[in-house]
Amino acid sequence: MRRERWPDGYGVKAVPLVYPGQEVLPDQPVLRFPATKQTDTGSGEVVPAGLRGRVVEISPRGGVVIESPAALVQGVIGAGKQIAGILTLWREKAGKQQKIPAGAILVVPDQINFALLHRAMSSGVSGIVAGSISLRDLEGFLRVDLIQLLNCADVDLVQAHLPPLTLLFTEGLGAIAMSRQVTELLEHYQGSIALLCGATSVRHRIFPELVISLPAEETQQNWQSVQPEAVLVPGALVQIYEGEHRGTVGTIDYVFTYQQVFASGIHARAVRVALEDGTWLTVPIIYVKRLL
Amino acid sequence: MYTQPYPDGGQGPTQKQNVPVANSLLVADCGAVFTKVSLFGLVEGQYRLMARGEAPTTLGSSQEDITIGVIQAINVIEFITGRRFVEDNRIIFPEQDDGNGVDAFIATMSAGGPLRVVVLGAVSSAFEGLASQAFSGLYAEMRSLAAPSHQATAVPSPVSVGAYTPSAGSAWTQERTSMEWERQLGEMRAFQPQAALIIGMADGQAGPTPLQEACHLLVNAAKEWNERRSSNGLENGTPKTFSVLYAGAPQYVEAVRQMLQGVAEVIRVDPLLSQAQLSMISMAVGTLHDRTVLQRLPGYDRLRSWSSASPLATATSLSSLVRFLAQHYAMNVTAVDVGGTTTTVMLAGEQGEFIPMVNSTVGVGQSIGEVLQRAGLQRITRWLPFSVTEEEIRQYVLNRMMHPQVLPASAREVQLSQAFAREAIALVLEAAKKQYAEWPESDLVLATGGVLSHAPRFGQVALMLLDALQPRGVTSLVLDRTMLISQLGAVATVAPITAVQVNENDAVSHRLGTCVIPFGDVQPGQLAVRVGVEYSNGRQLSVDVMAGSIEVIPLQTNEQALLTLFPAPTVDVGLGPGERARAAEEIDGGLIGLIIDARGRPLALPSDETERHARLMQWAQALGA
Repeated sequence: MRRERWPDGYGVKAVPLVYPGQEVLPDQPVLRFPATKQTDTGSGEVVPAGLRGRVVEISPRGGVVIESPAALVQGVIGAGKQIAGILTLWREKAGKQQKIPAGAILVVPDQINFALLHRAMSSGVSGIVAGSISLRDLEGFLRVDLIQLLNCADVDLVQAHLPPLTLLFTEGLGAIAMSRQVTELLEHYQGSIALLCGATSVRHRIFPELVISLPAEETQQNWQSVQPEAVLVPGALVQIYEGEHRGTVGTIDYVFTYQQVFASGIHARAVRVALEDGTWLTVPIIYVKRLL
Repeated sequence: MYTQPYPDGGQGPTQKQNVPVANSLLVADCGAVFTKVSLFGLVEGQYRLMARGEAPTTLGSSQEDITIGVIQAINVIEFITGRRFVEDNRIIFPEQDDGNGVDAFIATMSAGGPLRVVVLGAVSSAFEGLASQAFSGLYAEMRSLAAPSHQATAVPSPVSVGAYTPSAGSAWTQERTSMEWERQLGEMRAFQPQAALIIGMADGQAGPTPLQEACHLLVNAAKEWNERRSSNGLENGTPKTFSVLYAGAPQYVEAVRQMLQGVAEVIRVDPLLSQAQLSMISMAVGTLHDRTVLQRLPGYDRLRSWSSASPLATATSLSSLVRFLAQHYAMNVTAVDVGGTTTTVMLAGEQGEFIPMVNSTVGVGQSIGEVLQRAGLQRITRWLPFSVTEEEIRQYVLNRMMHPQVLPASAREVQLSQAFAREAIALVLEAAKKQYAEWPESDLVLATGGVLSHAPRFGQVALMLLDALQPRGVTSLVLDRTMLISQLGAVATVAPITAVQVNENDAVSHRLGTCVIPFGDVQPGQLAVRVGVEYSNGRQLSVDVMAGSIEVIPLQTNEQALLTLFPAPTVDVGLGPGERARAAEEIDGGLIGLIIDARGRPLALPSDETERHARLMQWAQALGA
């Protein structure tokens, strides 16, 4: 996949440090921003690639477009500019406080709260990938009206005024943990450098995403890219993302020919989902998304 | 009131002579949230709706191709009919002997969002009103920014009283002018227009300066955008350019072209002076929407290749049908379409009057946040027969914005969605009534769009329409349960017979009933109107309806009755206060029956929450909602 390396919100032209056709590594500097009052480092700020791949283009504003074989995790909601960091899994153990490494992208598989967000920010964490968060905690942390944030026309402008911590929530608002499949994927790539962008705009159909370049050893022999399958057929592993069973994972067991009536009185096409505990659920087909 | 021309410049669907022979048609409507596909076919010599399928519109970042959703919706039809219409992601043409394939494919589209147009130059309030009338029937969002020189010379400076505010009535100093430039640039940044309409005849005190300033603003905005273009590949690579409709002083068109060289493509139209130019500007903006929004949607070229005609904007298709119905049945017809991002209210009169109001920023899906923002929390919660916290409403709104395709999971969510639908319609209607002093009462109200068409009960639809539109006198309510009406106008452009037959046989078939809405000065609990009903089988019935209530008198589908109304002396049923009315013709029944809405106009809800909840439940119960 191709992604432009461009940390939003600078409003200035960057100087690319690489050229089209060049192979880059995730920690390799690819951009330099001139010194500003904000960065105040004297020589300006240097931005690492975040991806392993080939530079295919320098965009007019100086952004570096990199093509990379990568895994993609798309979130439901997020906030914050594009950052690169080391994926670090957060495991809270009773009575023991885990050290939070500065510059990391912290992975919190469960619901996250306001206190942990603040702790992460003050520890210098660059980004957080979590299962979910309550509306109150998220608005409290960002200090914005979330409805206005998602509707805003100028995405760059809005991101520039948010706290310096990029966020991605795989399940959105509420108290839902990320699916086992996503957690396992992130565990697998723990320690890798990844690229996280939190920008979310309903108006522009932009959703937050985490891009993890696949290591060279995984892409060397007979590697073929896998596109997500969307068709809902019996046997497909799905997650229910709405209603009282939100977050539940199961396998489609049957696709109903006729519309079914649900508790709300709504008629809708439906599927029967076999859950891991051996029970079944009949849910509107529109409530499920395919995992595998 | 003005009449917009049909998009092809013709006289409407009934006049079109080019009729290809098609035994079967697939018609797709690509909405902002769902793509609906219908299969029409010949059954015993008549065109009928044979099956329909629905799938989420695929314009999200993971599936950036609108045809994927169309194919998924066609797959549903294949599943239902057992026929095959798609092979290797292509539609099979023509219909085969074994029943697979179709003869024609037609598409309408409301996905892609509105065309954002900024009106610049010598923008007076009168011209701003004209411009918004020109845009009102289109998927267009308008902002106007009057040139500082025009503001300085056109607005008389009132005597300032109290605290000094630089924006109100102070002299146009250099500082104020530069502040206004900054403000306008900020507005351009926030609004991100794709097109501009430049107006002004250069005959005011400021001369041609407003035209010059309009160009400067566009040049500066383009320069700024090119310096800091948004990320995420929104407009990756190519420099920012605008489409500019120039409707200003003709002698300056070349000067404007030169000033905007490299920044805008300038299309000259007649100077905007009066309502006479509105049709032309509407057509030009419609064409820009096709070019700038629809044709840039991922998968558009592929969709276009499946059809002999270009995909039509859904609102244009709907307007064709509504005007056809108004002329054909010689009555005033109002169409209401509530979608995920857009709410449309259109009124067509039997004399050719036409008032289209399309608001592409108000809906019950992605645009539901806009409804909350504009209407406010109280206007939403007043329709709910239960207490609700602000947090619950906001959580609901955010979930809808992020998952607009999701259906309500509980009865509570159904009521929340219907409360938002009422306010979406009301907001559009309020804007329409501000623009058009004359708003005729409707003889027929046609309802379509997911929240109306998929409502679990017919009574809920009737209540939404009565609460939001607040019609008076006598009207009929019709629900487009199959969500076909907005596609039929497009069908009519290539197959008018199909459109007429399907309309007669299938689409507008859910007649909810006739409504009598008395209004006037009467206290709740007092007699508002006595209704005399004489059924076609000779049975007679007399019902007293009290002010503040809704009653339903049994009158089923395919039943007719003669109606006599005896209003109280201060109550009007359309002929004046206290005037008795007797229908010259029999009225038709419907799925709900004969509805007498004596709740008063304007509808006032009790301020006490408990009383309001009780009243809402009472009304819902009366209509079986």
